[in-house]
Amino acid sequence: MRQTIRVERLLRESVQTTYCDLVTRSTGRAVRASIEQVLASAGAAEQVALLDFSEVGLVDLSCADEIVAKLLQDPPRLTFLVLQGLREEQLEAIEHVLEHRDLAALVSDSADGTARIVGRVSPDLRSAFLSLQSTGPATAAQLAERLGWPLSQAGEALDSLLRMRLARSADGLFIAPLSA
Amino acid sequence: MSRVLEIPAAFDDRTFETFAQTFSQGPLTERLLFDARAAQWASPFGLVAMLTAAQAIREAGGPTPVFTVPNADEVRRYWTKAGFFHHAADLFEIHGRVPRIKPDERSDVLLDVTPVRASEDVHTVVGKIQEGAARILHEELRLEAKATMGFAMALSEACQNIVEHAGTSGWVAVHAYTFRKRLGRRVVVIAVSDAGVGFRRSLEATQARRFGDRWGDGAALEAAVIQNVSRFRDPGRGQGIAGIKRYLSRWAGKLSIRSGTARIAIVPPWDDDQPMIEHLAPFPGAQVQIVIPAQEGSGS
Repeated sequence: MRQTIRVERLLRESVQTTYCDLVTRSTGRAVRASIEQVLASAGAAEQVALLDFSEVGLVDLSCADEIVAKLLQDPPRLTFLVLQGLREEQLEAIEHVLEHRDLAALVSDSADGTARIVGRVSPDLRSAFLSLQSTGPATAAQLAERLGWPLSQAGEALDSLLRMRLARSADGLFIAPLSA
Repeated sequence: MSRVLEIPAAFDDRTFETFAQTFSQGPLTERLLFDARAAQWASPFGLVAMLTAAQAIREAGGPTPVFTVPNADEVRRYWTKAGFFHHAADLFEIHGRVPRIKPDERSDVLLDVTPVRASEDVHTVVGKIQEGAARILHEELRLEAKATMGFAMALSEACQNIVEHAGTSGWVAVHAYTFRKRLGRRVVVIAVSDAGVGFRRSLEATQARRFGDRWGDGAALEAAVIQNVSRFRDPGRGQGIAGIKRYLSRWAGKLSIRSGTARIAIVPPWDDDQPMIEHLAPFPGAQVQIVIPAQEGSGS
C-alpha cells in the first residue's frame, strides 16, 4: 500500500495556523502526532508513506528534528517513509538534523518515481540501495554478484537497509520501497 | 526619588554595557527613570534591551518605571515606527509626546518590536519577516535568494530559545542599517532579548558538574554556543544555535549572546569583537544579536 500525506494540510489542521511554515518544536510534535495517526489508520498492512512537503514554506531545524528525525528514529510499524516535494533549503535543514542524529531518509525528487538516500549512511549502503532501485529486487547472493562483493558484505548492507527502513523485504528479496 | 538610567545617545550592543552597568547598581524595586531625552539612535538590540529591563522590573515587583521620550523628533518617529512605544506603553509610564505613524512597507524596520511568548508568536514572526527579508537580503545585501530561508530559520531558532529556555516571554526586532564605523556596509540585525533565567540557570542541572569551578555565565555560554549543549537530554537538542552558526559562517555573519555577566561572540573577519567577555554587569535573561552584512562588492 502507498499513501501520500500532505504535510502542509496536517500543519494547518494540527496548529490552526494561517502560515505554512514548519517552525518550532511544539508545531513539529503536533504534526508528527497527526502523521502517526494517519499512518496508524492504515491498519496492519505494510505501507510506503510519501510525506509531501510541496506546499510547505520554511522548515526550521527544530521542527525538522521533531517530525522527520523522530519519525525515522522510531518509525511506525510496517511503514517506509519517503520524503518528497522538498526545496533545496528545506532539504538542507532536514539533512542537518539527520546527520546530527546519525540517521538517513529516502527522498524522492524526480518524476521517474525513484528515491535517493540523504543523511548519514556508509558508501556500501548507498551502493546496495542504488542497485536495488536501478536493477531491481535482489537476494543477498544476487546483490553480492552484481556488486562483486563477498556475500557477507552484501548481507550486512541489506540487513542495515532493512533495519533503517530504507528497503523492504518480501519472499526472500530485498526491495527499494518505491519499486513496484 | 527615582534612580536615573541614562539611555546612551547611540544605543547598540556595545553601549548597552554602560546601560547594564547603571541598571545593575540598585534594586529593581526602586523607582527608576529611563532618560532617553538625549538619545539619537537605537539599534534593535537597544530597543529590545530597554523593554527587557522594564519587564525585569515588573517581574521583580518593582514600581512602573518612567520613560522620558527622546527630544529629537526623528528619533521618536523611528522608535514609533519600530514598534517600541507600542510595547513600552505597557511597561513604562511614558513622559513626552509619541507620534502616530502609518506603517511603511519599504522601511528599514524589517520586523517591528514583537513579543515572543509562545510557539504561535514564532510562526507570526517568521511569517511576517519573509517578504521584507527577501527584498533586503537579495536587493541590498546581495545574498542569494535562498539565503532568505536560512535567515528566517536563524530568526526562528533564536526566538525559540525564549520559548524553550527562558521561562518567560521576550522580544524580537529586525532592522537593516549601515554599519558605518565597523564595516562601512549595510547589515541586517536581528535582536532577541528576554528577562528569563539565562543560560547559566537553564544549563546548571546538566552541565555545572562537568565544568566544576569554572561554572558560571561564561562557561554556560561556551557550552551552549561552542559545544551545542542543551538542557534537554534528547540528543536532537542543541541544533538551533548550531544551525544559526552554520548559516552565519556562510554569509560572514556575526552571532553574539549575552547572558548574566558574560558575553560570547562568533566573530567574523570584519569585526574586532572579543570572543568571550566575562565579569560584566549583571543583566537579566539573555540577549542574542545576529548580524548579516552585505556581501563584499555589492556596493551597498
